[in-house]
Amino acid sequence: MATRAWHRTREAIFRMLAYAVMAIALFITTFPVYWLATNSFKLDIDIFAVPPVWFEFSPTLKHYEAAFIGQPFLIYALNSLIIAVATTIVSLIFGTMAGYALARFHYPGRWRYQISFWILSTRMMPPIVTIIPLFIFFNFFNLLNTRLAVVVAYTAFNLPFVTWMMKSYFQDLPPELEEAAMVDGDTRWGAFVRVALPLARPGIVATAIFSLILAWNEFLLALILTQTDRSMTLPVGISGRVTQYTTHWGEISAAGFLASLPIIIFALIVQRHLVRGMSFGAVKG
Amino acid sequence: MASVTFRDVVKKFGSFTAVHDFNLEIRDKEFLVLLGPSGCGKTTTMRMVAGLEEATSGDIYIDADRINDVLPKYRDVAMVFQSYALYPHLSVEDNIGYPLKIRKVPPEEYKRRITEVARRVELDTMLKRLPKELSGGQRQRVALARAIVRTPRVFLMDEPLSNLDAKLRTQMRAELKHLQHELQVTTIYVTHDQIEAMTLAHRVAVMNRGVIEQLGTPREIYNDPRTLFVAGFIGSPAMNLIPGEVKDGVFASAGLRVGGAGHVSIPRAVLGVRPEDVHVANAEDQDVNLVAPIYSVELTGENTLVSLQLGGRLMTLRADKNFAGQIDQRVGVKIETDRIFLFDAETERRVDF
Ligand SMILES: Nc1ncnc2c1ncn2[C@@H]1O[C@H](COP(=O)(O)OP(=O)(O)O)[C@@H](O)[C@H]1O
Ligand SMILES: [Mg+2]
Repeated sequence: MATRAWHRTREAIFRMLAYAVMAIALFITTFPVYWLATNSFKLDIDIFAVPPVWFEFSPTLKHYEAAFIGQPFLIYALNSLIIAVATTIVSLIFGTMAGYALARFHYPGRWRYQISFWILSTRMMPPIVTIIPLFIFFNFFNLLNTRLAVVVAYTAFNLPFVTWMMKSYFQDLPPELEEAAMVDGDTRWGAFVRVALPLARPGIVATAIFSLILAWNEFLLALILTQTDRSMTLPVGISGRVTQYTTHWGEISAAGFLASLPIIIFALIVQRHLVRGMSFGAVKG
Repeated sequence: MASVTFRDVVKKFGSFTAVHDFNLEIRDKEFLVLLGPSGCGKTTTMRMVAGLEEATSGDIYIDADRINDVLPKYRDVAMVFQSYALYPHLSVEDNIGYPLKIRKVPPEEYKRRITEVARRVELDTMLKRLPKELSGGQRQRVALARAIVRTPRVFLMDEPLSNLDAKLRTQMRAELKHLQHELQVTTIYVTHDQIEAMTLAHRVAVMNRGVIEQLGTPREIYNDPRTLFVAGFIGSPAMNLIPGEVKDGVFASAGLRVGGAGHVSIPRAVLGVRPEDVHVANAEDQDVNLVAPIYSVELTGENTLVSLQLGGRLMTLRADKNFAGQIDQRVGVKIETDRIFLFDAETERRVDF
C-alpha cells in the first residue's frame, strides 16, 4: 500500500510541475499581449509611469484616433489584408498542384526526392540575403511600392512551404480513391479536383492559415519593397511610428493591438486545424 | 462484348518481377478467376487491365484494341477494389452515380439507373448516407453498384468478398454468380480463396510467383492438377503430398507402398492423393497400402477428418461421420490407385503414367 501512496504522491508532484511549466509558458506568451492592449488605452503619462500602472488608469481612445484618423493605418490594414489574401490564394493554387504532382506522379530514380529537396532548399537561406536582388529586380520592372511586388515576393517565399505541406497531405490519402475515379471514367485532373482536393480540405485550410499569418506578419521584405502609404503594410506602418525624435508608443500599441487581433481570433476559431496541420508537418517531413 | 488478351506480358517493379511471361485469353462473357496466394501478382495483373499499372513489356488487348497506352478512362472497364475505394466525401447515391456524372448522363436517366441499381443491391433506403455510416457488407454493395451502374466492356474484381464475414461472403458469392449470369459481361475476378474460385469461375488461372501455373475449368484444376503447386493449393483439406521414390510403377515412402503407376521410375517423387481418395481399412487386411497410428480425429459434421502418422508427417483422410477410431489406434489404409498423382520433385511437374 505504501507503494501505491508513493505512486499517487509522485503523480501529484508531476502534475503540479506540469501546471507550473504551463503557467510560465502562458505568462511569457500572454504578457506582451496584455501589455500591448493596456498601453493602447493608456495616456502617455501612464505608459511611461514607474512603477508601471497595471490596471488603474483612465482608458482613452486617443491613440486609436491618432493612428486611424491622424495616420493612414486603415490603408495599411487594407494593404496587409489584400496582400495576405492574394499571397495565400496564389500560393495555394500553385502549391496544391505542385504538392499533388510530387505526391503522386512517377519520377525516375531519386528525382522525386531531388525536386522536393530543391524546392525546400529555397527556404534555407535567410530572406535578407535576397533583399538587394529583389529590390533591383522589382525596380527594373517598375514595381517598387506596389502591392503586386509584395505579393510576388511573398508567394515566392511561401510556395515551397505550401507545396511541402500539401505534398504530405496528398501522400496521406489512399491513391486508390483517385484510381477508382479514373477507372470510373475520370481524367487525372478530374480525380484531383473531384476526389483528392475535397479530401485534402483540412490540409488546405491549415496551410491557408499558416500562409495568411506569415504574410500578415511579415516585415523585412515589405519594409524594403514599400515606402509609400498606398503600398505599405501594417508592420511597416507601425514601425514608421518610431521616429527620429520620439517613439509613439500609444499609436504603436493601438495599431499593433488591432493588427494582432484578427490573427488571434482567427487562430482561436481554427485552432483544431492548426494543431493538426502542425503535427502533420512534424511527422511527415 | 469483349475479350481480354495478354500476350507475353511482364511487369517489373525495379528489379523485382511481379508478373512474368503472362499469356492468357479471357473469352467474351467469361468469368475468369485469377487464383493464387497473396503476393503472387494477381492485383498487379488486374491493374494492368484497368490502366493503373503499365506493363513493362508485352501487349494487352481488349477485343482487337491494344490498350497498353490507352488512358484508364477510355478503356471502359469497371473495377471493384479490395478496399472498395468508396469516395468518403460523397453519399451512396453520388458514389454510385460518379461514373454516370462523368459521362454526363442526362438527369432523368441518371435517376432511373441509380434507383434501379440501388434496388438490385438493396441499398435503395440508404442513398443519402455517407460510406462511413454503412456496414462492411453495405459498402461492398456500394462498390458493386458503382461498377454495374454502367455496362462496361470488362468487370474487374479484386478480392471483393475478402473483407466480409463468412456468412455474408457465401451469400454475396451467390449474388455475384447470378449477377454475372444476368449481365453477361466479361469478368476477371481475383481471389486467394479457392472455394470462391471453384464456385464462381468458368475458368481458373492458378498463379504462383507471377506466372500462371495452370489454366482450366474448376473441374480440370481439381481433378487434373499439372503441377505440385496447383495440387497443394486446390482442395480443402489439402491434398496429401508425400515425398518418396517410384521404382517401376511402385511408390514407396516410410511404411507406405502404392502400386499401379505403370512402369515409371522417379528417383525423387511426390505422391499426391486427396483425403477423400484414402480409405480406412482393417489393419490385418493383406492389400492395405499402409498401417499407421491415428494422430487426431476431427468431426466436421458431414464427415470425419482423420490424421495418421506417416514417417515424420501427417496424412489426412476423409472418413465417414460415424468413424469410431481412437487416437493411437493402428489402422490400415487403402488408397484408390486410379486417383493418385505422381510429381517429379525436381521439376515440380506431374508425371503421367
Ligand atoms: N507498386 C509496387 N512497387 C513495388 N512492388 C510492388 C508494387 N505493387 C506490387 N508489388 C509487389 O508485386 C508482388 C505482387 O503484388 P500483388 O499483385 O499486389 O499481389 P497479389 O494481389 O497477388 O497479392 C508483391 O510481391 C508486391 O510486393
Ligand atoms: Mg491483391
